[in-house]
Amino acid sequence: MSRKSERLVNLTIALLATKRYLTKNEIFKSIEGYEGSDESKERMFERDKDDLRSLGIEIEVGGFDPLFNDEAGYRIKPETYRLDLGELSGTDIALLSLAAQAWNGQALNEAAHSAIVKLKSIGIDSDVDSIPTLAPRMAWSTTELTSVLEAIASRKVITFDYFSVQLEKVTRRIQPYAVASRGGYWYFTGFDIDKEDLRTFRFDRVAHEIIIANKPDSYEIPEGFDLLTNFDGDVTTSVAILDVRKDKCFALRKNAHRIEDAGEWDRIWLDYSDTNSFVDLILWHMDDVIVIEPKALQENVVQRLKDLVATHE
Amino acid sequence: MNKNRPTPLVHTERLLALVPYISANQGISTVELAKTFNVSLSQMNNDLMTLWMCGLPGYTALELMDLSFDSGYVTIHNAPTLQKPRSLNFDEIVSLLFGLDLIKESIPSDSELQGKVTELIGRLSAKSPISSKLRATDTVASSLRAQIEMAINSKKSLKIDYHSLYNDKFSNRVITPLELRTESGIEYVFAYCNSATSFRVFRLDRMQNVIAAEIDIEALHGQNVNSNKEIEYVLTISDRSRLMKERFAIEDVGNGQDIQLQSFSEQWIERSIFASSASATLVRPAKIRAEIAKKAKLLLERYQVVRDA
Repeated sequence: MSRKSERLVNLTIALLATKRYLTKNEIFKSIEGYEGSDESKERMFERDKDDLRSLGIEIEVGGFDPLFNDEAGYRIKPETYRLDLGELSGTDIALLSLAAQAWNGQALNEAAHSAIVKLKSIGIDSDVDSIPTLAPRMAWSTTELTSVLEAIASRKVITFDYFSVQLEKVTRRIQPYAVASRGGYWYFTGFDIDKEDLRTFRFDRVAHEIIIANKPDSYEIPEGFDLLTNFDGDVTTSVAILDVRKDKCFALRKNAHRIEDAGEWDRIWLDYSDTNSFVDLILWHMDDVIVIEPKALQENVVQRLKDLVATHE
Repeated sequence: MNKNRPTPLVHTERLLALVPYISANQGISTVELAKTFNVSLSQMNNDLMTLWMCGLPGYTALELMDLSFDSGYVTIHNAPTLQKPRSLNFDEIVSLLFGLDLIKESIPSDSELQGKVTELIGRLSAKSPISSKLRATDTVASSLRAQIEMAINSKKSLKIDYHSLYNDKFSNRVITPLELRTESGIEYVFAYCNSATSFRVFRLDRMQNVIAAEIDIEALHGQNVNSNKEIEYVLTISDRSRLMKERFAIEDVGNGQDIQLQSFSEQWIERSIFASSASATLVRPAKIRAEIAKKAKLLLERYQVVRDA
C-alpha cells in the first residue's frame, strides 16, 4: 500500500516542481516504482494519473514538441494545486474554524475537518479572542445531503422515493437547484420533471437512497434563482383574530402583531399561511383559544372539533 | 463524496496534507499529529516513514525533503514544493460556506465581524459553482448553546425561564446541564432540575433569559431521582399519515391498525390528539378518550355562544 502512495506523492512532487512539461520517459527515469515492461509502466502511469485526478489534483497535458517525438508532457500548475484564499488574518482563520466546527458529527464533518487541517497548515494562528463565544451547530441530516450537493454541482437529475402526505412512497425525478437547513431540518429545492414545477423536499422524508443520473449538465439552474424567496416568499398569508386566555398560548402570542387586553382574555391578531397546520396549532391549545375571524377558519376548527367528539365519544 | 476512495488514495491524500501541516507546526508531537489526522499512532509513524522515504535522494532527483521524527516530535525542512496546503475541494468549500452562513446570523449585524464573514463567503464562493444555492439556519441562538456547553464543562448551573408546552406555562428553574442531545432535528439538554429535584430534559428552543447561577453540582449528590411513570396509549390513524408518524414518533404506521405508544404526559396526549383531530383517534386509555370528547364538546358549546353573539 505504501509503495503506491509513495509513488503518487513523488509523482505529485515531480509534476509540481517542474517548470516545463515532463515526458513519460523522464517521469519513469526519475521516479522509483515504475517497473516492468514499457506497457506495464504505461498502464501504471495511466492509473496514477487517474488516481491523482480523483483526488482533485489537476494534471495538465501539453508541451508537444517535435524534438520529443511528439510525445505529450505533464505538469501540475502550482496555482491550481495550492490553497489560495487571498490574505487571511487570525480572525479569518478563527471564523473559518468556527464555521467548520458547526458540522461536529454531522454530514459534512469529515470535509469540514480536512478543511481545518488545511487552514492550520497556512501558518497563521487562529485569533479566537477576536470573535464571540458561539457554538453553532448544523441540523442533523442524512448522508444524502452530499449526494444532492454533488448533483447540483454537476447539474445531474436525481431520482428517489419520497413519502407523500399519506405516507405512500412516490418516485420523484428532480433537477436539484439548492439546499438549505431551516428549523432543524434540511431541505432541497428543485424542478420536478413530472409535475413541471418547483418543489421543496425534506431530506428525512426521502424513503431510500437518492440515485444520481450519470449525465452531467442536463439542465440549467435559472439565473437569479433565489433560494430564500423560494422558501419564504410567494405564500399568501391571511390574518386571524383569536381570543386567547391570559398567561396562556405562548406559541400563538409570539407571532401576534397586535394584542388587546380584553379582561380574562386577550384578543390577538396574527398572520398564517398554511391553514391545516394553523388549525392544528389552535387545537393544540384546546379551550384556551377561540377563533373569532376569519369565519372560514372558525368553521374549520368547529368541524375538526365535531369530528373529535364523534370519534371519541 | 470521499467515502468509497480506495486506501492507497486516502493514504496519499493524508501524506500530501501532512507536509504542509508539519511545516506550519514544526516540532509537533507524533501523538498530536495522529489525533489531528484521526489515525492510530502506529499508522502515523508509518506515514512519516513513508514520507521520509519520499524524501530520500534518488527517489526523486528534484526534491530532498528533510524530515526528522525519531524523538517523537516532528520537523520538516526543505519541502518547498509541498509546503503550501492543497486547495480546498468541493466538499470542504461547501462545508465552510454552510458554516459561515450559519454563524452569520449569530453575529451582530453592525459588527466588523459581519463584514469579515461576508468577505470570506465571497472568496469561497468564487471557488464554488453552487455557492449561492446553500443556506443554513440554526434552530437556536448559538450563543445560548455555547452558554450551556460552558455550564456543562465547568459544572455550573443556569437560571432559565422555561416554556412547558404541555402546561403552556413559563416557569423559572435552576438547572445543572449534563449533556446536549439532538433528536429528529430538535436539540435538548439533559439536566438536573433543582426546582423539580429530578433529572429532566429541556428543549433549547423553549429556554429564555438564561443566566449563570451560583450553584455547585457537588451539592446535588444524594438527591432523589423521581421518575415519571409512562402512560401507555393506543391510537389509530385515518389521514395525514406522514404528519402523524412524525408527530407521534411512530416507527411503523401500518394500515389503520391499533398503534401502541407511550408518553410521560397525559396532557401531551390530549393536546396531540386535539391537534390531530380527523387524522388520528385515541383508542385507549378510555379515561383520556372520554376527557377529550368532553373538552371538545364544551369547546363546541363556547363556539355556539360566540356565533350567536
